[in-house]
This record gives sequence, C-alpha cells and structure tokens, in this order.
Amino acid sequence: MTASDPVIRLENVYTAYEGADRPTLTDISLSIGRGEFVVIGGPNGAGKTTLLETINGMLHITHGKAVVCGQDVRGDGVQVRCRVGYLLQNFAFDPLTPFTVEEVVLMGRYGTIGLFRKPRTEDYEAVKKSLHLLGIEDLAARPIGQLSGGQQQKVLMAQNLARNPEVLLLDEPFSNLDMFAREEINRLLARLVGSGITVLIVSHAFDDLPDRPVRVVVMQEGKIVVSRECPPKEVEQIVRNAGKGPSHA
Amino acid sequence: MLEFIIPNNIVCHAVEAMLFASVACAVLSVIITQVQISSIGFTMAHAAFAGAAVGMFLSLNPTVCSIVAGVAVAFLIGPLSDRARLSPDTSLGLLFGICMAVAIFFIAYMQTLGQGFSAMGLLFGDVISLYREEIYLLAVICIVAIAFIVVLYKEITAIIFDKRIAESVGIRVKPVYYAMLFVIALTVALCLPIIGGLLLYVWLVTPAAIALQFCNRLSTMFVVAPTVAAVISISGALVGLEYSLPVAPLTAVLFSAVFIAAVLLSPRRRVTFRKI
Repeated sequence: MTASDPVIRLENVYTAYEGADRPTLTDISLSIGRGEFVVIGGPNGAGKTTLLETINGMLHITHGKAVVCGQDVRGDGVQVRCRVGYLLQNFAFDPLTPFTVEEVVLMGRYGTIGLFRKPRTEDYEAVKKSLHLLGIEDLAARPIGQLSGGQQQKVLMAQNLARNPEVLLLDEPFSNLDMFAREEINRLLARLVGSGITVLIVSHAFDDLPDRPVRVVVMQEGKIVVSRECPPKEVEQIVRNAGKGPSHA
Repeated sequence: MLEFIIPNNIVCHAVEAMLFASVACAVLSVIITQVQISSIGFTMAHAAFAGAAVGMFLSLNPTVCSIVAGVAVAFLIGPLSDRARLSPDTSLGLLFGICMAVAIFFIAYMQTLGQGFSAMGLLFGDVISLYREEIYLLAVICIVAIAFIVVLYKEITAIIFDKRIAESVGIRVKPVYYAMLFVIALTVALCLPIIGGLLLYVWLVTPAAIALQFCNRLSTMFVVAPTVAAVISISGALVGLEYSLPVAPLTAVLFSAVFIAAVLLSPRRRVTFRKI
C-alpha cells in the first residue's frame, strides 16, 4: 500500500447481523485517505455503528469488497482489528470489576502480542505513553469500576491508542465527557490526525469538532446519502439538510 | 499421592479427590462468574448428571457419557437460541429442565430395578468409593484447568473484561470461548462422582464469589479462589469422615458459611458503602 492509497476502501458492501434475514448496510461505497477526519451523522438506526463495525471486520460482509489498512476485511478481520482502534458506544463497568486501569489499557495490545505470548517491555512502554497522552497516568493502579464515566471513557480511549492504530473508529466518544475533557480529546484527535492517523467519529455533538476541514458522511436506512468535505461549522447543517438529522445536544 | 501425610487410605483418597476437584472447579469459577455464564455452568452440571445417569442405565462408562452430555449442551445453546428464536436464557432454562427430567427419570427407574444406591451417588456425590485411576484423572483435569488459564491468560482476561472489547482489540473470541466451555464441561463431568450433580454448582460459583469480596485484581482472584476452595474442601472431607457426616453436602454448607462471612467482612463492600 502506498501513501496515496486510501486507508479504507469499501466497494458495494452489504453487511448483515448474524441471523438477520436482510442486510443492515446496503451498497456502501466509501474511500477514505490517510489522515482524514470523518464525521458520520444520521438518525438513530441509520447504520452508523454498523458501518464502523463493518470497517473493523466485526460484522459479516455478505457482498462487496472491503480493504482496510491494505488488508481484506473479509479475509481476516482479526488482522485488521490489530491495526484499527475502536471505541465502543455505551458501556458501564461494575464497581467490583477486578481490573486496574493499567491492565485495561494493556488489553489494547493483546491482539498484536499474539496467542501464547506474554506482554513485553515495549507493550508496557506503549501503555505508559498512551496513559500520558490522555493525562491519566495517576489512575494507572485504580480499579476501572471505581472511576467516573468520563474517566472510564478516557481509559478506553487510551486502550485503543496503546496499539498505535492507523485508523481510529470512535462511536459517540464525547457522550460521557464534560466540556474540559471534550476540548482535551479534541486537541488530541487533531494531533493524531496531523500525525497521519485516520479518524472516523460517530457523534451528535457537532460543535466539538476539531478546527480543520472534515469529511461528513450522512447515513439513512443503511445507505450513505451524503459524503463530502466541508468546514467543521457546516457539518450540523449538512446532516440536518440530508434528512431527519439529530437534534442538537 | 498424599499417603506420606495421611496414612489412612480412605481419608487420603477423599482428601486428594476433594483437593483436585475443588482447585479445578475454583479456578474455573472465576471465569464462570466473571464472564457471567453461571447459568451455562449450572446447565452443564445437570447435563453431565443426566449423561451419567443414562450411562449407568445403559451400562456405559458414566464419566464418558457425562463428558459427552456436558459438551453437547455447551455447544447446543447457541444453535438452539438461533433456530428456535429464543433468548440464550430461555434456551438454558429449557435445556436445564430437559437434563433434570432425563436424570431423574433414569435414577427413579434404576431405583425400581434395585440399582438405586449407585445412582444416588450422582445426586450427592460419593467421596469414599473412588478408584485410584479416578483420582489420577482428577489430578490431570486440575492441571489442565490451571494450564488452560496460564496459557490463555491474556485472552481469557480480555473476554472476562468485555467480549466485544476483546474482539475489537484483535482477539479470536469464539475459539477461546468454546475452549472455555469445553474445559468446564470436562471438569464438571470428572468432578460429578465425588461432588454430585445437585451440589456441583456450589463449587463452580462460590469460590470466586468469596474471592471477589477481597480481591481488586483478577490475577489475585485466580490464586485466592482455589486456595479458599482447597482449604474448605479438605476441611469438609476431614470433618465429614471423622464424624461420619456426608462429605459433599457438609462441604457445600461450609462454602456457604464462608461466603456469608466474606460478604460481612469484605473491605471492598465497606469502601462502597462509605462512598455512597
């Protein structure tokens, strides 16, 4: 793969959930370059999360071609997931969950470490670095279940950064964060995009986007209805114009 | 194996059996409670129970039959939920009911045929009449359970943390998950003759529940749960044999008492209450 090749290329992709009798995504074609910042909008149930899980190979592609980071997603989704970070939507950990923050962040590297192998020094170094990036080094020894929702969100973000992803998929990353944490994450995302990482973000909070041109992708009923570049201030209007856009939070 | 410490052969065999069974069940109890598949463990225990009852009735090896039944149930839950469009919980309820019905039918029928004594051992366990080979087999499954956790520690902990997150970081969740079920089924089947189908569940859940009251880290739970289980089970065997009490039920009662004490003394819960 050369630097000019798209890092994500979907061609006429159809995706279905296990046991479903019809596809959730239909005829998706999308080409995203290295270092692009992509905002995915659309009403609830439009297929935004499904699109993210199709890109990282967690969902079954029934038809079409999907190449991410030079790997065929239909061939081996696991290899793709080792190079793609994915921050899931909606999580809550029990206060008695027996995992410290450091252990949770280290899990981000388990796929790259491989089966039957133990974490090495470089893995622990990557954990330290990503805790530092998120400003949560002081939480390393704390049980994750005893942190606030916003802190837990940052821990999961650090988990994804720990494996030095080429692509970062973020599903509602601002949902549990206060305004200061949002600004902090935004600055971090802008830095990551600047360093060549591709970021795809599903969000309803369009005023929190980094101050740089973004690509907006609007989805409706499992299809992409808009895909274009624009300044961040226009994203909300484009999503609204495309149909039943979400109300501003 | 422990004859140099316990000269009495019967007591020695009972202690060895309880030690190996409790350690194997306890390390797996951490997985069962933390992945929240206790209903699967419960159903597998009863499937093994039914398999052994059928095996006894048909004069087949009950251990092999219970392994087959336990594994079959573990692998049936998914397809049954999909085909019958049932929730996994409902599928488990159905399988549990079927297993109990099959087990009770064959045990009752064997009683009418005058074979009730051996069948009752399946219900409440029988720690005394084990063959040496069976104890060796328990030692092997104990080592297998521990080795399984040591070798796949990363993968298991990630699945325990969250299955979807484990999948998203690049772990092959399905094979590891099915391997977990297979090891649980194997352990359940081999422990069935000494603990009994009705009580096995205590060994598969309570040790981890006790450890969770004191441990902040999963790695500590994997050490504390089998240690506590071994101490309780050996105590149960020694006291039961000394005072002619049924060993497995007595040990199950001891487990429950220690769990209640652990909840009352738990420093983790005290912290939670103070915070609220």
